[in-house]
Amino acid sequence: MTNRLKKIFTVVIPASAVLAAGTAWFVTRFPASSFEKTGSQGEPSAQLVARGEYVSRLTDCVACHSVPGGAAYTGGLKMVTPMGAIFATNITPDRERGIGAYTLADFDRALRSGVAKDGHRLYPAMPYPSYAKLSDDDVKALYAYFMKGVPAVHLENRKSTIPWPLNMRWPLAFWNVVFAPSDVYRPDTSKDAQWNRGAYLVEGAGHCGACHTPRSLAFNEKGTDSRSAAFVSGALIDGWFAPSLRNDANTGLGRWSEDDVFRFLKTGRNDHAVVFGSMTEAFNNSTQFFSDDDLRAVAHYLKSLPGDGQRDGTPWQYEPTQTKALQPAGRQGIPGAQTYMAKCSFCHGADGRGQGQWVPPLAGAASSLVPDSSSSINVTLNGSGRVVAAGVPDSYRMPSYREQLSDGEIADVLTFIRSSWGNRQSPVMKPDVKKLREQTVPASSSPVILKTR
Amino acid sequence: MELNINGIQHHVDVEPDTPLLWALRDDLAMTGTKYGCGLAQCGACTVLVDGQAVRSCVTPVEKVAGASITTIEAIEQDDLGKRVVAAWVKHQVPQCGYCQSGQVMAATSLLRQVPHPTDADIDAAMVNLCRCGTYNAIRAAIHDLASGSTDGGA
Repeated sequence: MTNRLKKIFTVVIPASAVLAAGTAWFVTRFPASSFEKTGSQGEPSAQLVARGEYVSRLTDCVACHSVPGGAAYTGGLKMVTPMGAIFATNITPDRERGIGAYTLADFDRALRSGVAKDGHRLYPAMPYPSYAKLSDDDVKALYAYFMKGVPAVHLENRKSTIPWPLNMRWPLAFWNVVFAPSDVYRPDTSKDAQWNRGAYLVEGAGHCGACHTPRSLAFNEKGTDSRSAAFVSGALIDGWFAPSLRNDANTGLGRWSEDDVFRFLKTGRNDHAVVFGSMTEAFNNSTQFFSDDDLRAVAHYLKSLPGDGQRDGTPWQYEPTQTKALQPAGRQGIPGAQTYMAKCSFCHGADGRGQGQWVPPLAGAASSLVPDSSSSINVTLNGSGRVVAAGVPDSYRMPSYREQLSDGEIADVLTFIRSSWGNRQSPVMKPDVKKLREQTVPASSSPVILKTR
Repeated sequence: MELNINGIQHHVDVEPDTPLLWALRDDLAMTGTKYGCGLAQCGACTVLVDGQAVRSCVTPVEKVAGASITTIEAIEQDDLGKRVVAAWVKHQVPQCGYCQSGQVMAATSLLRQVPHPTDADIDAAMVNLCRCGTYNAIRAAIHDLASGSTDGGA
């Protein structure tokens, strides 16, 4: 008995203590920042702050760390997970409620490793698995911008509604070890400089995969770089289906040229599509501010990602199938055809081909060809957001049909669209429309719904 | 940008995405075509492009350069259009009148496609909104036109 007690005191307890201390250190302090030994750099140059502002456009921090009508970077955006809601935080340089007390190393650890200054883990709703690839120079510039270029706002963060014990964050340290890339972007020497710049922007700063890459059950993106076939292959997020950015002829960028991709990200539109859904914000706040060289690099890189013919199906070709059916007599017998002519055709054309770059086609559109009908339903119910290119709002915008069309009418008209002009998708069902109608309430600032599939 | 409107070539100095409605009303002072909702929902701005009814508020001028555009100002230069206007007068269709230039364009387009429309055809094609509720008068006028009893000189 004494022996056993002695053993407990001399071996088990110290060992447990060391293990606990080790774990505590690991979950709150690991990994260290490469700036740990960097002392204060003094006042950053105006040039560095300006460079940081540009990097903040690439990383689009404002998209989540602001709410409509609120001051920039004060957080508050609600994100709903199956466990409860979380809120984006105040990242203005306020010393108490923002990140004003952060050193460069603290900032770096939050940005690239997902660890806050006090050691708590950030949820990967913060795209640190992508930002991990940011270069030291860009992190330094971004820090300079957030400390000197952003006005401090004394606004308190909102508390997460996730209950104990699910709200414990330390296990995320282990999640990170398994799922989050932990190294800066390393150029692929077999590729040219433009491709590598594009990869850095798409995989890293632009965190395109946060929406466009499907997630597995553990919420991790199924691929984080060009080596994975799942990377930016399309995913359902927040009531929208973010389409494939790979060379899938139907559901991706297969029919787009590099110049088409460039113009889409620069002006918000091209002959294939106009930004809508969550991409409107990404365009309004971020992509249009990329330099032309950076956008061309993004286009060059994306066009190098192979599609998956098996998933994508037979490449779409235009078929003038509905010309006769859309005559006044013909359309009366086809569910959806009359609604199409009365509500959709004046903009999208009786031929489904839209109006040049100004109104997008529905014939051959990724949203018409992808099996998941969420984007089609969502944009019909709620319309599209204001697209502001170079300070000028768009002339043409998809109106909301929430009040005008019933679930059945929307299901019928979308079924018609998704089976016309060479589009061959399964029918849209009434319950799908009903579900999205309930989930998306345009009048309130609707929360971001994080989902896996 | 060159626009052929009512048989006359016009030059308008506008951005390519300018809605045709604004080129007509603001640049060419052809104010017979009305602005209603600006979202292709009401039909007050309907004009004919190569004989088809289009909503000029959602038609970029770039798209109709080179096409033949007909507005309410010239509808009576067309035999069918002239008969439609006469029937509208005979049946005293307009109340406040705001939507009626669009209604006349839509009716002309329908009758050109379907000379003898049924009630269902009329319901299907005449989706322009009328706040005064002149729908019954519109239907009566179109049936009258289809039966051929309204002649152009009436």
